[in-house]
Amino acid sequence: MKFSYNWLAEHIDGLTVPPAEIGKLITMKTAECEGVEAHGAHFEHVVVARVLTAEPIPGTHLSVTSVDTGRYGVKQVVCGAPNCRAGMLTAYVPPGQLGVTTAKLRGVDSDGMLASAKELGISAEDEGIIEFAAGEPGAAMAGCTADTIVEIDNKSLTHRPDLWGHHGMAREVAAIAGRPLKPIAAELPAGAPAVEIEIRDAKLCPRFSALRFENVTVQPSPLWLQQRLESVGLNPINNIVDVTNYLMAELAQPMHAYDAAKLQGGRIIVRVAEEGELCPALNGQTYTLDAGNLVIADAGGPVGIAGVIGGGPSAIGEGTTTILLEAANFHAASIRRTSTKLKLRTDASMRFEKSQDPENTVRALARAKWLLEQVSPGIRLVGGLADDYHPLPAVAPIEFDLVWMRRKLGKPDLTAAEVTAILRSLAFGVAETEGRFTVTVPSWRATKDVSLKDDLVEEVGRMIGYGNLTPAPPLVPSVVPPLPPERSYLRGLRQLLTAQGYTEVYNYSFVNEAQAAELGLPLEDHVRVVNPIAQGQELLRTSLLPNIKRNINDNAREFESFRCFEIGKEIHARGRELPEEIPHLAAVSFDKHGDGAANLFELKRLAGTIAPGCTVEPAEARGYEHPNRAAIVILRNEAIGRLFEFHPAMVETGRAAVLDLDLTKVQALRTAAGKYKPLRRFPTSAFDVTVPVAERELAGNVLARLREGAGELALDIRYLYDYKGDSGRSMSFRITLGAADRTLTGEEVTAVRSQVMSWMGL
Amino acid sequence: MIETQLSELAAATAARIAAAATAEELEVIRVEVLGRKGRLAEVSKDMGKLSPEQRGAVGKQLNAAKQTLEAALTARKTAFDEAALRARLDREWLDLTAPAAGPGLGSLHPLTQIQAEIEDLFVSLGFTVLDGPEVETEFNNFDALNIPPDHPARDMQDTFWLSNGHLLRTHTSPVQVRGMKKLGPPLRMIAPGRVFRNEEVDASHEHTFYQLEGMMVDKDVSVAHLIYFMKTLLSAIFKRDVTVRLRPGYFPFVEPGFELDIQCLICQGAGCPVCKQSGWVELLPCGLVHPNVLRLGGIDPEEYSGFAFGLGLTRLVMMRYAIDDIRQLQGGDLRFLTQF
Repeated sequence: MKFSYNWLAEHIDGLTVPPAEIGKLITMKTAECEGVEAHGAHFEHVVVARVLTAEPIPGTHLSVTSVDTGRYGVKQVVCGAPNCRAGMLTAYVPPGQLGVTTAKLRGVDSDGMLASAKELGISAEDEGIIEFAAGEPGAAMAGCTADTIVEIDNKSLTHRPDLWGHHGMAREVAAIAGRPLKPIAAELPAGAPAVEIEIRDAKLCPRFSALRFENVTVQPSPLWLQQRLESVGLNPINNIVDVTNYLMAELAQPMHAYDAAKLQGGRIIVRVAEEGELCPALNGQTYTLDAGNLVIADAGGPVGIAGVIGGGPSAIGEGTTTILLEAANFHAASIRRTSTKLKLRTDASMRFEKSQDPENTVRALARAKWLLEQVSPGIRLVGGLADDYHPLPAVAPIEFDLVWMRRKLGKPDLTAAEVTAILRSLAFGVAETEGRFTVTVPSWRATKDVSLKDDLVEEVGRMIGYGNLTPAPPLVPSVVPPLPPERSYLRGLRQLLTAQGYTEVYNYSFVNEAQAAELGLPLEDHVRVVNPIAQGQELLRTSLLPNIKRNINDNAREFESFRCFEIGKEIHARGRELPEEIPHLAAVSFDKHGDGAANLFELKRLAGTIAPGCTVEPAEARGYEHPNRAAIVILRNEAIGRLFEFHPAMVETGRAAVLDLDLTKVQALRTAAGKYKPLRRFPTSAFDVTVPVAERELAGNVLARLREGAGELALDIRYLYDYKGDSGRSMSFRITLGAADRTLTGEEVTAVRSQVMSWMGL
Repeated sequence: MIETQLSELAAATAARIAAAATAEELEVIRVEVLGRKGRLAEVSKDMGKLSPEQRGAVGKQLNAAKQTLEAALTARKTAFDEAALRARLDREWLDLTAPAAGPGLGSLHPLTQIQAEIEDLFVSLGFTVLDGPEVETEFNNFDALNIPPDHPARDMQDTFWLSNGHLLRTHTSPVQVRGMKKLGPPLRMIAPGRVFRNEEVDASHEHTFYQLEGMMVDKDVSVAHLIYFMKTLLSAIFKRDVTVRLRPGYFPFVEPGFELDIQCLICQGAGCPVCKQSGWVELLPCGLVHPNVLRLGGIDPEEYSGFAFGLGLTRLVMMRYAIDDIRQLQGGDLRFLTQF
């Protein structure tokens, strides 16, 4: 929202804060200022000028003119405007302003510029140079003044309906500067209501007020009004519409002017739309409405979408001679829903959705009458105010204690007088006895913004200035925080992984359908994003692997080999419940060359360091896995994840081994160290056995069989090596024997050895 | 007679020891002369035939010869051993500038690092660390934070809505609600984590980023406490004394709400392009917890008050490492990630 300094200053008695300071003050006390910029500084220098002669320059669309500029003397200026002609009064911009220089155009000297309204920053009009009906060469342009525009971040005004107009912001500035705010008169002459108003739902429309005028002249607004609207980003249209926009920007009260001759019947009805009802709007679009939208209707149907946009057929046009001027109040959420649904955000809807003050409508109409009388000479009010008002429930006075306010702010020396002065400067009603406050809230703050004593802490705090509080350490109990074990577990895991050479990646929580399909992940297991704005965001990931696969192929273009890992959450749909979020680890060891075995065994070793005691068992390979290189990882009889190599079809080059572990399970199955076992006192004996095995026999199976056959004396059975020769494949193991209470005799060792050999059929 | 034999043997053996070229030759000599069945043993066997006087003299001579020869053998052997060791050591020359086998150290993601650093700071101040789900209920993400449906504040946070009727959390603030219910007052908690906004991605905008929510609820927690706390914390994060200021900011779940700015660390407040000449950099939103939020968290706002803040971890990482493209953080490019 843009604010004009001049406009603010008109509402404050004796404002002395310079324009350059005002942005910072507003930022520190009220709302965030995004920028301060000069507007129309050139109006100090631009003058009214009379074109004395205008001769076309042959072969061009230009004319060379001689211009009486009064203050600057007679100047020769080259002008390209189609309406440039001898005798006219226009605006002369001297060199040095608006980027104008003394130049030669087509070989002709040009000293300054004749300007259009757009070039002057008055309106969007740029079809020709501006024309004045009257004026003296050398005079300043009436009503056009240099100004400073302060831009305030709309987000920081979300809770302040009153700050969507200059008068509300002026109240803040007046309070900050310690100057009085000038009141706005709200008196209207009495008279019979010029129109009948019927509000069908007072919750959706608490108030609808209107005035009727006749003998209206529709014409461009005076320059000062055009410039003012333009300076705050509103386009001047005609004097009637400009007045409504002016008051919206001044009082935050959106208004609408109807061509009264185009309204049917003598009654305005505020009602919800019928299903499928059409409303042609003044932006040229026709909107299809439903019962969620509120309309303003006459006997013929909707003439406007309430609080959002006016209707097209009853819009003000050149032939308009009578108008109905609306100032109404609508339910914020309803306007917001309609505006969101129609994808139509207007200056009006933006204001109404902030919960505007119903008290404001009549004030705006009174001010509009005053302004219309200036911009449309001869205009006459017909009858009196039409006003259907269903006041909102009053906000109860807020009570609080000075001591409470001091404790909330942390300002022990805060006085009752300070609090009273601040609240009164912001138009709150204050009664105070011995530190007990009773505060009444002004109507424009009572719609939503202020209802609790905590809301008043902000009012007092910001006006004192938070910089005037003395920072103080809180007095709190000294306790060891109850830390969740996952935190230190995951931190330790990350350290372990980096120590082993793995680099951490973060991937998005999203995958697209193609990614899920490629890995055969069932679509119904996924939570779906209803409103993705970009491709690749349709689904929430049920596996880290789709994005890990992408990491592999991306990095394979840059590296011969690499190791990386991600710790992230799988998100599995659970119907209407919140989904199950399971932390997983995915670790990758990639090599562009080699047979891939080393990568898989490296990850197997990694699994053993993360989940000590885990085993790896071959598993039926999934579609994306190498059919002969896939296994489940098992800890204490429970599957905790998978170890596999990506199917060659999944990687563009090289071999990628992957370890995918469910970290919830790994943590749950971890065991803490128990009581220590006394160290062995007697020596052990060992012997080796070599077992002939089938071509694809699993070492794990042979080991398991040996364990079964070796008996209780076998302390350890260790795989030594695998041998493949002409006579087939064999594996060698070393079996270590021992007893807790004695040294084994040679006979005992021999007996175990024989037992093992016969068990294995050797 | 025997004395002569002995001297000749000693002299001849000494010469052989001196001439031996290998440790093996020495061993042959030792066995032949000094061994149990060696030449000296034979001499001592013959001593029985001698008179007691002769035996004494020959015995002395024998012992002397034995000692001399053993010393010579040992000395010679030591020389061989030393030479052998020297030769081995020489052979074992190694080029230590050649690369080490096996992987080097991996890197932790910069967000992990900064998160751990900040968690440690808070834990040292008695805060617990909580986690919350990425998928949240609309109630926890909005309603419980005093943002009812159709509240314009919902516009501030473009939301990913989900097929199950829930949403991807737009901020870490819902963990306030979970934390209050879980811990009860008084409490001190932080909740770092991933949050989502439905935005187009470019160099400075991401739909996925990281925040750290903080909350402290106790009796008489005030704005002055909040300022003290933020100043202390930010000085620790930036490892220098920072100047902070609070100004009004609107967030429905706090009242009063603030934007906290720190004095620009680049220009010390003098004004520079980083702070857009203002001398201040907007850093985090904070405020006193709104009484409605306390109440929905099961805490009586008449008895307790609290402050809450939200720190942008992604933003801190980008500031610390001067990262100019936010997309790098979730791009998975190891050329980028191995720099940290």
